[in-house]
Amino acid sequence: MIQVDGLTKHYKDLRRGQLVALDGIGFRALPGQIYGLLGPNGAGKTTTLRILSTLLQPTSGRATINGYDVVTQSAQVRRQIGFMSANTAVYDRMTAWEMVEYFGRLHGLEGDPLRQRMEAIFSRLKMNDFRDRLGAKMSTGMKQKVSVARSIVHDPPVLIFDEATSGLDVLVARALLNTVAELRDQGKCILYSTHIMREAEKLCDRVAIIHRGKLLAEGELDALRERHKQSDLEELFFRLILDHDAMMEATA
Amino acid sequence: MKWSNVRLILSREIRDQLRDRRTLFMIVVLPLLLYPLLAMCVVQVSQFRKEHATKVFVIGAHPRLLEEPALFENNRFAARLFSSPEGVALLELKFAPETPPPGKTLADMADQARQQVAKSGGPYDAAVYFPSDFAEQLERFRQGVAARTSGRDVVGEADGATKKKRAFKELPPVPRPDIIFTSANEKSQMAGSRVLDVLQRWGEEVGRANLSALGLSPSAAKPIEVAASDLAEESGRSGSVFWAKLLPLILLLWALTGAFYPAVDLCAGEKERGTLETLLSSPAQRSEIVVGKLVTIMIFSMITAILNMGTMSLTGGLLMSHMPIQGAPSLMSFVWLFVALVPMSALFSALCLALASLARSTKEGQYYLMPLVMICMPLALVPLAPGVELTLGNSLIPVTNVVLLLRTLLEGDYATALRFALPVIGMTLLCCLLAIRWAVEQFNKESVLFRESERLDVGLWLQHLFHDRRPTPTVAMAVLCGLAILVFKFFLSLTTTFPESFGDLVKIALVTQVVVVAPALVMTFALTSHPLQTLSLGRGSWRNALVAVFAAIALAVAIHPVAIVFETAASKLYPTPEGAEALARLFGKAPNFLSLLLLIAVVPPICEELAFRGFILSGLRHTGRKWRAIVVAAVFFGMTHAFLQQQLAAVLIGVVIGYLAVQSGNLLPCIAYHMVHNGLMLSLSAITPKTLREWPFLNWMVERSEGGFAYHWVVVVAGGMAAALILTWFSLLTYQKTDEERLQDAIRRGIKADDEPLASSAM
Repeated sequence: MIQVDGLTKHYKDLRRGQLVALDGIGFRALPGQIYGLLGPNGAGKTTTLRILSTLLQPTSGRATINGYDVVTQSAQVRRQIGFMSANTAVYDRMTAWEMVEYFGRLHGLEGDPLRQRMEAIFSRLKMNDFRDRLGAKMSTGMKQKVSVARSIVHDPPVLIFDEATSGLDVLVARALLNTVAELRDQGKCILYSTHIMREAEKLCDRVAIIHRGKLLAEGELDALRERHKQSDLEELFFRLILDHDAMMEATA
Repeated sequence: MKWSNVRLILSREIRDQLRDRRTLFMIVVLPLLLYPLLAMCVVQVSQFRKEHATKVFVIGAHPRLLEEPALFENNRFAARLFSSPEGVALLELKFAPETPPPGKTLADMADQARQQVAKSGGPYDAAVYFPSDFAEQLERFRQGVAARTSGRDVVGEADGATKKKRAFKELPPVPRPDIIFTSANEKSQMAGSRVLDVLQRWGEEVGRANLSALGLSPSAAKPIEVAASDLAEESGRSGSVFWAKLLPLILLLWALTGAFYPAVDLCAGEKERGTLETLLSSPAQRSEIVVGKLVTIMIFSMITAILNMGTMSLTGGLLMSHMPIQGAPSLMSFVWLFVALVPMSALFSALCLALASLARSTKEGQYYLMPLVMICMPLALVPLAPGVELTLGNSLIPVTNVVLLLRTLLEGDYATALRFALPVIGMTLLCCLLAIRWAVEQFNKESVLFRESERLDVGLWLQHLFHDRRPTPTVAMAVLCGLAILVFKFFLSLTTTFPESFGDLVKIALVTQVVVVAPALVMTFALTSHPLQTLSLGRGSWRNALVAVFAAIALAVAIHPVAIVFETAASKLYPTPEGAEALARLFGKAPNFLSLLLLIAVVPPICEELAFRGFILSGLRHTGRKWRAIVVAAVFFGMTHAFLQQQLAAVLIGVVIGYLAVQSGNLLPCIAYHMVHNGLMLSLSAITPKTLREWPFLNWMVERSEGGFAYHWVVVVAGGMAAALILTWFSLLTYQKTDEERLQDAIRRGIKADDEPLASSAM
């Protein structure tokens, strides 16, 4: 499970001064659950996920994955997670099979267990017809599949997907969402960031809506709808963000 | 670090590089083709290369008077005056009319020729001018010599010594033909030197003719004939000196180039293609990634160097078999080259990796090659200077030491090479380790891994510097301050001359201290919001500060003998420059000891401590590693000293003072230590036999040594032990950590806890 408390991240930015990318975010995602991180572009989703995958260090606050601290026990954390984002590309000069095998072995898998696991993943994600194709020659959809295969090859308890469907056509995107749902049913703890509300509605058990580094709302989808008296998630999202911006302007 | 991961990353990177056509071309195809092609070009060009004929204007050549021995033949210089028969055709002569045009003299014509030659592109490249009375002068000289030799003095009768003297004095002047040429023009210079050769040979012939005329053997003027026998040439090793200088240089150049391109592709390239984030989020640790990549780069660097070296010496050897420099490099020399290649490739690979990880894109990465070459090449070129040999001092200079060791080995001087092999290997390993650590660190910095391009706006940046000031300076500010001090000091040393009097010395010393302290103080007040905290002043209680000051004084006294031993050792390693002794003599001219004490032991400690342990150390501590901050600040401190021996000792003392600064959190103990240290230094140099007579108790502390007095070894040992005790006391103090240092501590604890989840509460 993922536990995040009071996470803040500041960047230095000459033009805008001290830039607060995250301002005290906190949430908790449990196994067997898809936790949606919703927010417009620049809300702080990618920063949060990068901190959770130990690529960035928070300015303050704390995040743990299955109890391991992301700052002080980063190596352990990386063993617990499968991380996939728009920024985690596929190697150009490696075939699909080599790529997945490489990461499997980095996770300590070897020999037959690795091959069996890979065969299973390759047939489930329908990747067998391009398993020997170099990354440079793959389509976007193929690359995305390789990335998914790469992030689940070691069967991690926690999966982090950052805008996984961006740039995919409807067919591939739907297949990917199905895969994510399957993974949840296997009992994985999944953190899924997106700005597409339909995806969130279909997939997520709980969501957190963040905007400008602040957590605006958090909870189960139905509870959120109830609380804000709005059945349409997109409408609800829009309202929250507009209200927040209006409030900020009023106080500024 | 798991070696299986390193191996995995290594094999992937190698496969990746081998699948890249550009890399393969650069590393394998290019060297295989480059040298044969180059050799082909050289052969082709040398066929076309021909010596060009030069035109010479001859003024005042009176054919009748320049006979016997003849200077000219068929309107050219006589063929026998050239070393090779082809030379005749290379000097085309144009004779000036024998009698100058009316109203002009030969001297006027020579002036005209001077103007013509000076502006290149004229009708002739050089001119030779025989004064109008040249033939007469020659004849007169001949007669004068003849008269003196036969004892018939033309001047008249006189006796003994005066006669000889007068005869010598009265000898007619030597005739002087004048060659007019300009070295600003290559062709003119060539013509000039050819004419000079001819005239010198002719002059020798004239001399021999004179001797014969007097009935003397011409060989009287050539009493000895030197025979030179080059043993190296006889044993066929003349080539080895040539190769010994060339091969190490080529090896380094290609090891660097071969490391650079893969490094850029493996770091900046991965960043650009977006795969770095994939790799970093895998369980592979940063150190495993760095080592994997490093070994890949190293392998390619070595392959490049070996292939280039191989094809170059093969084609070069073949080509040179037709040239005066004989002999291809021996097989043994390739063994040594290979042995030296391993550490050199490691060093260059680590440097390239760290540099390349700074780059956002391959394009940016390529820009970093030039600065790297600019730093490495001078180090590799130093050994080419004549007279530079492998010594202990040289063997501690990175890159230079390996080139020198290689050269010594290639020259076959194994005894010297063996003597200095250890320091060379040690220094190279140390540099490798530092470079690797630097590279690992780059991979741990999110600012390096996720750098985004920003529009440069100097105004905004300055505003940000001033408005968003922090209590203490940043690392960058500290480094900048250190560099600024060094640069200012360098310019100061260029503009000042060596002090002549004590007054001059005072002026220079005070200006130097201003140069040291001014950048630090200006930056403190302009760029930090808490100057007192920055300079480590006024923190903590007065009582603690006072105790620390006394401890520091005791420490300075205790360490001083050890420091002296170290400095003496350093000055044995690197000979003391003359300036140091001249400076010491100037100290002797001080009006009194007190003023000297003020100049050396009061002002500099205050200024230098404010700069190095104040501003610079405060900034450097934001790296999160206290010892590194202390050492870097000490290195800056050391480098501001004038002579190498002082620099080495100052770095060591700087480390001690830096430690005091961190542990006590106060600058006052540092200043106290520094004052006492400098004061003792001065006192020791001021001891004379007379002082020992006046204060007999000093006798059991110091003893006579070369060039002054030194401490008794008992005092050194006792001092060292006391120093260890006091340092232990300092280490027990709880010091104020920076945020970065606390973070590093936490990470260290996290790694120690390893498999145990730290956050038990979260479960």
